[in-house]
Amino acid sequence: MGIEGASAVERFVRKVMLPVCILSGMAVVAGFFFPEFVGDGVSGRGWLIVSLLFFGSGLGYLAVLPMADGHNGDAPPVHYLMQVRRLSWTETLRTFVARHDPLTFGVPVLAFGLFFVLQYLFPAATLSVVDSIQQYVMGWFDWLLLGTVLLSVLYCLVLLVGPWGDIRLGGPDAEPAYTYPVYFTMIFTAGIAAGIVFWGPAEALTHYETPPPYFGVEAQSDAAIGGALTYSLFHWGFSAWSAYLVIGLPIAYFVFQHGAPLRVSTILTPFLGVEGLDSLPCRLVDVLAIFATIGGIATSVALVSQQFLTGIDFQWGVEYATLGPVLFVTGLTIVFVISAQSGVHRGIRRIAGVNIVLFGLFAALLFAVGPRSAMLDRGTTALGSYTLNFLPMSLSRGGEWVTSWTIWNWTWWFSWAPFAGLFLAALSRGRKIRTVVLTGFVATSLATMVWFLLLGTTALHLQHTGATAILESMAAFDNPEAVAGFSLFSTLPLGELLIFLFLALIIVFIASSADTSTLVVAILASKRDRAPTITTVVFWGILQGIVAIGVILTGSETTLQATAVLTGAPFAVVVVLSLVGLTFTFLRDERGHESLLAKLPTLPFDDVYKE
Amino acid sequence: MTDSPEGQSDVSLEKVFYHRETTRLVHWREFSGARTAVLLTLLVTVLTFITGLSTLSQEKLVLEGPLAAVLPDVTGVVRLGGVLFAFLLGLLVFGLHRGKRLAWYLTIAVLPVVGLLPLLTLQTTHMPLLLLILGALPVLVINRAQFDQRIDLSSLQVAALSSIVGVLVYGTTGSYVLRDQFTAIDTWTDAIYYVFVTIATVGYGDITPLTPETKWFSLSIILLGTGAFTAAIGSFIVPAIEKRMATAFGNMTPSGLNILEDHVLVLGYSDITESLLGELAGERDIVVVTADKDDAANLDDRDVSVLTADPTDEDRLRDAKIETASGVVVATRDDAQDVLAVLAAKRTNPDVYIVAAANDQHNTAKLEDVGADEVISPMAIGGRILGRVEADCPPPTAVTLVVPRHRTAPGDAHTKK
Repeated sequence: MGIEGASAVERFVRKVMLPVCILSGMAVVAGFFFPEFVGDGVSGRGWLIVSLLFFGSGLGYLAVLPMADGHNGDAPPVHYLMQVRRLSWTETLRTFVARHDPLTFGVPVLAFGLFFVLQYLFPAATLSVVDSIQQYVMGWFDWLLLGTVLLSVLYCLVLLVGPWGDIRLGGPDAEPAYTYPVYFTMIFTAGIAAGIVFWGPAEALTHYETPPPYFGVEAQSDAAIGGALTYSLFHWGFSAWSAYLVIGLPIAYFVFQHGAPLRVSTILTPFLGVEGLDSLPCRLVDVLAIFATIGGIATSVALVSQQFLTGIDFQWGVEYATLGPVLFVTGLTIVFVISAQSGVHRGIRRIAGVNIVLFGLFAALLFAVGPRSAMLDRGTTALGSYTLNFLPMSLSRGGEWVTSWTIWNWTWWFSWAPFAGLFLAALSRGRKIRTVVLTGFVATSLATMVWFLLLGTTALHLQHTGATAILESMAAFDNPEAVAGFSLFSTLPLGELLIFLFLALIIVFIASSADTSTLVVAILASKRDRAPTITTVVFWGILQGIVAIGVILTGSETTLQATAVLTGAPFAVVVVLSLVGLTFTFLRDERGHESLLAKLPTLPFDDVYKE
Repeated sequence: MTDSPEGQSDVSLEKVFYHRETTRLVHWREFSGARTAVLLTLLVTVLTFITGLSTLSQEKLVLEGPLAAVLPDVTGVVRLGGVLFAFLLGLLVFGLHRGKRLAWYLTIAVLPVVGLLPLLTLQTTHMPLLLLILGALPVLVINRAQFDQRIDLSSLQVAALSSIVGVLVYGTTGSYVLRDQFTAIDTWTDAIYYVFVTIATVGYGDITPLTPETKWFSLSIILLGTGAFTAAIGSFIVPAIEKRMATAFGNMTPSGLNILEDHVLVLGYSDITESLLGELAGERDIVVVTADKDDAANLDDRDVSVLTADPTDEDRLRDAKIETASGVVVATRDDAQDVLAVLAAKRTNPDVYIVAAANDQHNTAKLEDVGADEVISPMAIGGRILGRVEADCPPPTAVTLVVPRHRTAPGDAHTKK
């Protein structure tokens, strides 16, 4: 990996990015501070391009900056790019092929190629086939998905409290190499993309307009507010994040305690042993993981680009054709490829840092200018309702609404789980299992839930009191969730600032997920004894970008999303298997750990009872 | 399962995720020094100027911030304040750069006042300024100790400054009290305006004295005021020129040094110093302390920071900020001097990493005994280079020896004792 930023290509990228960033930055500053003088000289589309150039080149430049302490003898053991650079093209190609596993490399590439050919030739037929399979799976296996998610939550709770939480990954003496802030930040920002930004206000609003049947309340009534908030907490809270944990934790355990390879298929170790992980079923699991990841990320990238531009269109009336999203995706791809190839310690860490700062800033600002009493009032009620209704909601099945929202949502989270879980596992060396659960399950869920409460309560308060008609402005658009935020913030003080931050958040959130997914896919597709090279990372990053562009050009967002969601369902089965295996391994190998209850300080009257 | 935890670790894991010892979200040490504080204040200054201009360019300025209701109507102040504060801050940044304590106090006082502007207007364009000020203040407070330079004013400068203040007070009070005997003085603002216009010898003529008493009064302001101004300008400019002259002859003083952090202090000037300067150029700040004026003048011509002083004098080492130095290289031309310099360095900063260069190989052990962490001798270094080549390690240079004091990286473990 280009760990130290010493390669010629990176120096070139830095040289290009810096002037672009400075020049566009100056234009943005001029337009921002002196709208009277320069505002009309440039068209809305021009401003959009300049701002995106500024932000994108800034992120890219940040990613390729060398490590501050990189120049005093901290050279990496082997510099791959230096090796590759001396080779001719054919040799480069041969090395590239030799590093890849033919199965995990070839099948996903072929599958995506086939998908686009089918989509191009028979768009209607492909859609209907995928749709009917999806309907079938989600209709017939809803119990499986609901059960797996509930099982995952319960398993996380057991690990949190029980004795197994005391196991330190990597042996009792292992030290964590990532400090806690960076650990949490990277897991949180990798695991969630721009969905959190768009759906933050939109999800609660949608449930307010069409209340979930579970609550049986009248649409747009006062009672609907509570139900809407509760369900948005449910869909994005503990249940959702538990999916990453139940994939990530078995991987981490077998990688660090048993020397298994860093693969998704490692979760099958209890059944096959570390030696058996090269077998066909395991490689199929890895292929499925790659497919789910690329499908999940590429659809997200494509959807985000359209949502972003829809939002811009709504707010500033800048219309766009197909070219708009394509250019947007191209720019985004450049940013996340640069970030991914620069490595975990540089681009991925830094963009995650930018992300969490903007996230905190936005939340603090919204709390400062939003309807605070309504937020606190409605928020605490919704939390109480979430706690009370958690089990019934988790078990509530049947009905069109549950299938199209809850079940669909769980499969979507499961399709992201392979890469997010693997990333979580990779960072967890030296951490206790309890800390891993506390971070990847509790802390991340709480951050997401606070966000949804802040945005949800504000949106519903303004909508319900009639201060603004967000739902009405959403109705006119194909992807209404893209518009909710803009319509909401316009009515708040400092609305422009909120909108700028909102747009910036969309870009960093998707970039910080896509760079991680690129890295993970590159790891999965490389042969077991090889680390991914820059070439590999760049290849998979560009492939994700191409798939996203292909999706936009063929108009197949829904189809590919449905396909990616379909890959989530098999992972639910794999999760159940792996949890059973993990439990047996724990029972056999991990005795003598202390549970959290045993660690509680003894109370004074305990002694009295003993006597 | 037969696998042991010590079994082979995954390649990707090691190469992608674990090639570094500890990863932090933000390397605070890099971003929290006194230099960052100065840089942030500079950014605040630039942003204050831009924001001020932007406020000035708005034809309709409405104060709708949370503080606007509390404070009296200050629209005029807000409109002009931004740009004016920027100029004041610019001056303060210059003082901070020199490590002046007074500049620090004033900056701490001025920044919150500037921060009031965004809270008065609550405009989106003002928010970056507020955020930057909120970021800059803690960094300034943390690095308080770094800004410890007193402002040394000569008695002439003190006299000139106080007479200017005296004339201003005298003139303003006098013209306000005698306002009936002037053409157009009605308020305190008019009085101040009149005094400044008179002292600056601009004299628009819109306000004129009418009686002999006020004419004598005006004459006294002109004489005293212009006199005080001339004296003040002279008292500040002449020393500056003198200092330049002294520099040309190699007499550097500590006041010429700016804020120093993580710099390498080189005590003495010799051939080793020369090669060190070549290697560290552009990477690290170096301050050479040497008593030889010719060497000092020579180095100063090449833009190397030099302090002309005895390198064995503890007070002068403190002037060169040995407390914040990342390392000390002792390399005078005399080993006895070296020993004294090592002792002086140890006494002023017991924790600093000291590399000494022995002129005579026999003195290596002595230098180590008095506290040098690493001793290189030009005679022995050739042999060591050969040894390192065989062991496939880069040879230690003065750079690898001194620089990694704070930032331990796996690659430089061999340079540590």
